[in-house]
Amino acid sequence: MSEARSAPAPGIDVERESVTADELAELGVDLADHPGSTAADFKRYPVLSEGGWYVVVKHQPTLTTVDKRKWTLLGPVKLVSEGLHFS
Amino acid sequence: MTDNGETRIRDLSDAEFHARYSCDRYTATVLSNRMRYIVEHMCTNLLHHAFSGILRDWYDFAATISGPKSTNYSMSTVSNSLVLFSGAMEHAVRNAVEEFGIDKLRQGDVLMVNDPYRAGNHVNDICFIRPVFHDGEIVTFVALRAHQLDMGGVVPAGFSAVKKDVYENGLVIPPMLIYRDDEPIDHGFHLIFDNARYAALLLPDMITIYQNLLLGERLMRESIERYGVEAWLGGIRYSVDVPAESMAEAIAAIPDGVYTGGDLVDADGIDDTREYEIKVTITKIGSHMELDFSGTSEQARTSINCGMFDTLTAVGIALKYMLDPTTPFNSGVYRNVDVVVPPGTLIGATPPDGAVFIYWEASQPVLLSVFRALQAAVGEDAVAGDYGSLSIHNGHGVTEDGTPWVTVAQCGGEHGPWGATKHGDADSYNAIYLANNLDPATEAIESDLPIVVLRKEYVIDSAGIGYHRGGAAALRDSMFLTPANHTSSPVHTKRSSGTGVVGGGDGRPGAVWLLPAEHYDVAERKDLVPLEDPEVYRTSTPISGLLDPETKAPDPEKGEYFWFGTQPLWRTQPRDVFRYITNGGGGWGNPLEREPERVLRDVRDEYFSIEAAARDFGVVISGDPHTDPEGLVVDEEATRRRRADLLTRQA
Repeated sequence: MSEARSAPAPGIDVERESVTADELAELGVDLADHPGSTAADFKRYPVLSEGGWYVVVKHQPTLTTVDKRKWTLLGPVKLVSEGLHFS
Repeated sequence: MTDNGETRIRDLSDAEFHARYSCDRYTATVLSNRMRYIVEHMCTNLLHHAFSGILRDWYDFAATISGPKSTNYSMSTVSNSLVLFSGAMEHAVRNAVEEFGIDKLRQGDVLMVNDPYRAGNHVNDICFIRPVFHDGEIVTFVALRAHQLDMGGVVPAGFSAVKKDVYENGLVIPPMLIYRDDEPIDHGFHLIFDNARYAALLLPDMITIYQNLLLGERLMRESIERYGVEAWLGGIRYSVDVPAESMAEAIAAIPDGVYTGGDLVDADGIDDTREYEIKVTITKIGSHMELDFSGTSEQARTSINCGMFDTLTAVGIALKYMLDPTTPFNSGVYRNVDVVVPPGTLIGATPPDGAVFIYWEASQPVLLSVFRALQAAVGEDAVAGDYGSLSIHNGHGVTEDGTPWVTVAQCGGEHGPWGATKHGDADSYNAIYLANNLDPATEAIESDLPIVVLRKEYVIDSAGIGYHRGGAAALRDSMFLTPANHTSSPVHTKRSSGTGVVGGGDGRPGAVWLLPAEHYDVAERKDLVPLEDPEVYRTSTPISGLLDPETKAPDPEKGEYFWFGTQPLWRTQPRDVFRYITNGGGGWGNPLEREPERVLRDVRDEYFSIEAAARDFGVVISGDPHTDPEGLVVDEEATRRRRADLLTRQA
């Protein structure tokens, strides 16, 4: 039987990284195509979707993906055996 | 036109269709159907020839077809078997083949992998993958994931909410060969059978699985020979594109906006001071959707977590249920859907501490969270919650002659009610929304194991009320004839999982007890353990639920929470009984609009009592449903007055 009052375990967020105007320019993004937007409206973060893990840069107000790159097979997961050198 | 400027598939000219899919429309349809036939044929064959109960009686497996590397291992086809496997299989195939090395594969190989972090699900679910070659090139992968009765770890058969890390959890197999040149690889089998219990059952099951991979391969080769390899590959692309387009259109049809939902899991196996919360924020713009699970609780300290691919499965299935139920499920469902999963959470566990075993207890709440978030977007298409948790039971012992026995998911709360929809009342005895299993037959349980299934019935007044009612909770009493050890994992009894929608009511939360023979001996009394006798509950050992602390009877409103983890292993003596009551399913729509004759039928069938009919539905009924069920009568005038009164209060 519960003696103590229970509370939810702390939450964890996925960080959405800021993207600079220079980075957007390197990605070929023309801010003129997103009227009223600045670089602050774009964020970079990992997503799971069809095909596996990607790191995307999205225009947050419209969810338009301006860059999508395949990430590692397991995304943020680090295996227990990762980093060992077997040979 | 689709939103990416492409012509819809149905609007393609014959030439355009051929250019995209390397065959005509008719052939693409035939091949798409043929792929579904192949995986169903494999599954039927496995069902008929499996030895262990978890495959033979539970249907705990799934078969899939994936394209070659050039398609990014696009998963065109999944079988109509265990849904929990479906979404993760795309990634299991890709990750296993890529890590092993696609150039190292050759005809006659079978790869296996069971790592939850690489392939989803849990370690007992080994995914067997066979490359199918044509003219020396891999053109397809056929895969069969099937639950193995045991994969080592601290609990026989593995089902436990108290295992603390990957080391206690069981054997982890990275992508490795189990067959080469169609010959078994001894060290692969030794790896398993030197770590796993019940090898006598596992080995013939694995040989059967291998044979079914060969069956799938043979049927594919026949298709490729008949239609050509380009048409076959076009058929894979077509099979994936159809649900992708259909889902995109379904997403576009709901209002743009931000929708939130969530669910709570009672506790892990360490203590009951921590609940685990799932949060989802769904942003829908145009035909795209992003589901962000930020804010979800950090991973549990025991094996109630799921991996990220399991979360992805739950999202895809939830969207199919709510938005696009008419096209097949495959990897195309996710084309316009991005899922953001925080690592190190209950639904995105990471090794070595984030143990994953009873993973559906985390991923099923993901599905319910999506249901809750989107009910505002879909209106009357909302789907009420189901019983939500398998409350899985796992027991083991030895018979008098020393033969070990194990029961897996046969004597807990594994089957129960669904929630209602706009289409009608919910069924009351199914697998959770994220599964599609059979229910082990009582005869099979009692003939294989020293167990007597005493009761398997519905619980009155447990279903969510509504214009369409939810399914009733299921009650199961099981008596164990030899001394035994049990793990019991009911992790969702604190609050209802069966959320009502469109004005419907919630289902009642369930509970679990151990009823010792020393207080009520079924054999001695020659009668079932009563349902309502206060003495039965007072002398019980509560395992989980909201119960009155004095009487130990269910009290969902004011009861205190009893935690399943007070004993990592529940020990029983001969003729002790476990009683499981599942959560009830949610209702759909206003109960005061339910036709009185339908309420009368519910009372006759003891889904609801006469008291509940009057209290919750405003239908006044006289008679005795137990002794004269066909003599029940609706008092129409009293019903009119009662409903008018309730409608005034409702307003």
